[in-house]
Amino acid sequence: MVAHPDWSALRAAETARMLAACTRCGRCAEVCPMLPYAEGAQGAPAPALVEGVLEVLAGGEGSAAARGWIAACTRSGACNAACPEAVNPRLMLRLAKWRANETGALPKRDAAEAMSRVKAFARLGFSATEQEEWL
Amino acid sequence: MSDALFWYGCNMTRHAEIIRLGQRMLAAVGVGASPIGGPGACCGSPKESTPRIAEGMANRTMERFGAWASGVRSAQGGAAEGGEHRSRESAADRGVRSAQGGAAEGGEHRSRESAAAPQAPPRVITWCPSCHMNLDDFMGRTKEKGFDHRHLCEALWEGREALAPLLRHPVRARFLVDRHIGFHAEVPVNDIIPALLALIPGAEHLDHPYRGGSYMCFGLANVPGALADHQRALLAALRETGADTLVTIFHSCHRELVGLEKNHGIRVVNWVHLLAEAMGWAYQDDYKAWRNAEDPLAAIGPERVAAAGEVAVKKLVLPELARPRPV
Repeated sequence: MVAHPDWSALRAAETARMLAACTRCGRCAEVCPMLPYAEGAQGAPAPALVEGVLEVLAGGEGSAAARGWIAACTRSGACNAACPEAVNPRLMLRLAKWRANETGALPKRDAAEAMSRVKAFARLGFSATEQEEWL
Repeated sequence: MSDALFWYGCNMTRHAEIIRLGQRMLAAVGVGASPIGGPGACCGSPKESTPRIAEGMANRTMERFGAWASGVRSAQGGAAEGGEHRSRESAADRGVRSAQGGAAEGGEHRSRESAAAPQAPPRVITWCPSCHMNLDDFMGRTKEKGFDHRHLCEALWEGREALAPLLRHPVRARFLVDRHIGFHAEVPVNDIIPALLALIPGAEHLDHPYRGGSYMCFGLANVPGALADHQRALLAALRETGADTLVTIFHSCHRELVGLEKNHGIRVVNWVHLLAEAMGWAYQDDYKAWRNAEDPLAAIGPERVAAAGEVAVKKLVLPELARPRPV
């Protein structure tokens, strides 16, 4: 028996859990190795950054600093080890990015050619048999 | 029908030789695994800016894997029915912890089923950390799995008693491993990979505390300035330790770091390459050769370009091979 019928249900359940569990302490932002690369986030108080992320997660725009942090997240997971409430901030930022992509708060990454490129490299590197069996 | 799938992901099509070597190494430790990947077996990660599309791709993969697992169980006479995970630490976790003399770094590991358990379920052996984490975080929470999953390095570590005697050819390398903060909590790659490479005669692991952000270089490449800083930090660590070889763990790290070989007086190899050398297995790292060639198109060669489609190669492959080097 799976925990959720689909990704939408999983996201909704996780979003509700995170919004309820997070205390906005800011430890996740404090330990994030990507914060120096987050546009507009330098100098922003860590609790305010987290509050902004939660706003985005809930469907709002959030602050520019929070959007900068979300965009710079590379899933190091340093935040997960630091979170005292086991919120799973790594997943929180990832889901916030998805929400921001949907609402337009953050632009989508252009992946239009990603799979065409994967297939082109396969044709270069795989034998005909490997293409047939491995793809 | 193989008892295992070697799920190499999608962007690994750039590194066919690593797929071949990985499959051969698994066979050498007693695991018959069929490679599978590309767009038809995608975790959805490349399309996650549009989650609905990502979910559709991931669901198709789970259905494909589910049908395969069902076939394996039928062939086994239903003996491995279920495939539910038990709350037991894996042999790989135990082995590395033992090798390290304590808990592996980076936090908690998820408990997984022991490889030694009788009537083990069909197994998917992963390569790509994005796929592995998507399986944990989304795919396995919304679709019945019916199979166990392990990373390649865990499977090889579990089979190290069979692997070690095959590592007969000394490899003269003083190596530093490109390690990242991420994914280690899911699979202790930062411990297992050096432990596997320590089995190679002649090779010397030079430890360094630096860990890059993200879980592989792909993430850093998409954040302005981050990949250049990572490469500078790695070069500094190489100088500090006296290492002559940089070992990559994942494909995107290999893709981003092989370019350092051209101008920085070091060798860049993947950990699978190094094991293969110790086993006396020949391989050709085409991606590295193409990336560092003065003329990548000529390096690929007209026959392969024609077979892959010249328009596609010029539009999709060459811009990547000729992209600027961060440092």
